[in-house]
Amino acid sequence: MIDIKLIEECRSGNFNNFRKLVEVTSPFAFSVAFRMLGDGDQAKDVVQEAMVTVWQQIRKIRSASVYKSWVYRIVINKCYDNLRKRKRNMEYSANEHTWALLSDTVSHWPSSELENKENAMIISVLTNKLSPKQKAVFVLSELEEMTSDEISGITGMSKLAIKANLYYARKSISEMLEKYLRQ
Amino acid sequence: MKQGNDKYLKIIDLLRRSKPVLDSTGDIEREVIREISRIKEPIFNLAGLIDFLFGWVYIGWVRRSFVTVSLLLVLVFVYQQGVIMKQINILNRQLIITGGEPSASGFQHFEKLLMMYKRSDRGFTSRDITISEQQLKELIETINELQIKYQYIEKLVEEDPKLKQFIEQKLIENNQTKVNL
Repeated sequence: MIDIKLIEECRSGNFNNFRKLVEVTSPFAFSVAFRMLGDGDQAKDVVQEAMVTVWQQIRKIRSASVYKSWVYRIVINKCYDNLRKRKRNMEYSANEHTWALLSDTVSHWPSSELENKENAMIISVLTNKLSPKQKAVFVLSELEEMTSDEISGITGMSKLAIKANLYYARKSISEMLEKYLRQ
Repeated sequence: MKQGNDKYLKIIDLLRRSKPVLDSTGDIEREVIREISRIKEPIFNLAGLIDFLFGWVYIGWVRRSFVTVSLLLVLVFVYQQGVIMKQINILNRQLIITGGEPSASGFQHFEKLLMMYKRSDRGFTSRDITISEQQLKELIETINELQIKYQYIEKLVEEDPKLKQFIEQKLIENNQTKVNL
């Protein structure tokens, strides 16, 4: 939980404790960026850029209560930019090792938590075929466990669009798992 | 499909539990603060002020309007200069009379008459000929001399009746009309 007083201070132009705000904001911003991009380093870059944007524009937000969803929106938008660039540069292709890891994970469920590296690998494989919007809805809904109202507030999508994107994301991932994972 | 759904739920559950761990926020903090310091706005933003004061010149229609108005002003100025130069040229050619009221005799009297003649717009106009003040003075002096000579001759004629009669007769012969001296 972020201290409202801290946000209010920054909103009023007092950035003495901005470092503290970065400290409390970075973890949840990183979580979304990591799951969207499937890459720890790129996620860190996105969080840095997002925090600079926060510093520049925090005075424009209506109230401290909307801070978290506002940060999510910034992060998601930065992730969209990143994914667009990446699409031009390279296409991720899963190798045998990744599928073996996935297969092992499913067969030993419930297993212990994944390391960042494994986590990134699995997310990249599963969401590779999804569009940025589908990816955003999938991450916010399925992994961050947000409601459709919250997702709508962050992405600006209608509830119907969220539902449709989530349906296609689930379908795509399920089909992939069905096709490639051995029992 | 049910199997696929089962696998999906297992994977999602695992991914939910496996929250990405940000090992240290220190790096991010440092990078953010460094970036902020780099782009920190100056206290007095001169560029912003200039933009605020004169930024409107970049509005297309304002710019075009001002260009049009300035061209019109230049044309009006050129036209006015032309008119003024023309007027100066006309004034240069006109007779300049200086001094007080002309008296009723001699040089000044003639000067007054000449002025009246000019103003009545008869005969030549100042726009058609160019005459300097010196030339005009010479003309008037010549006329005065002629007038004096005429008066002298008139006096001689008055004093000598025979001469008067002779001149009258000669004039009648030349002009075919009666002349009284």
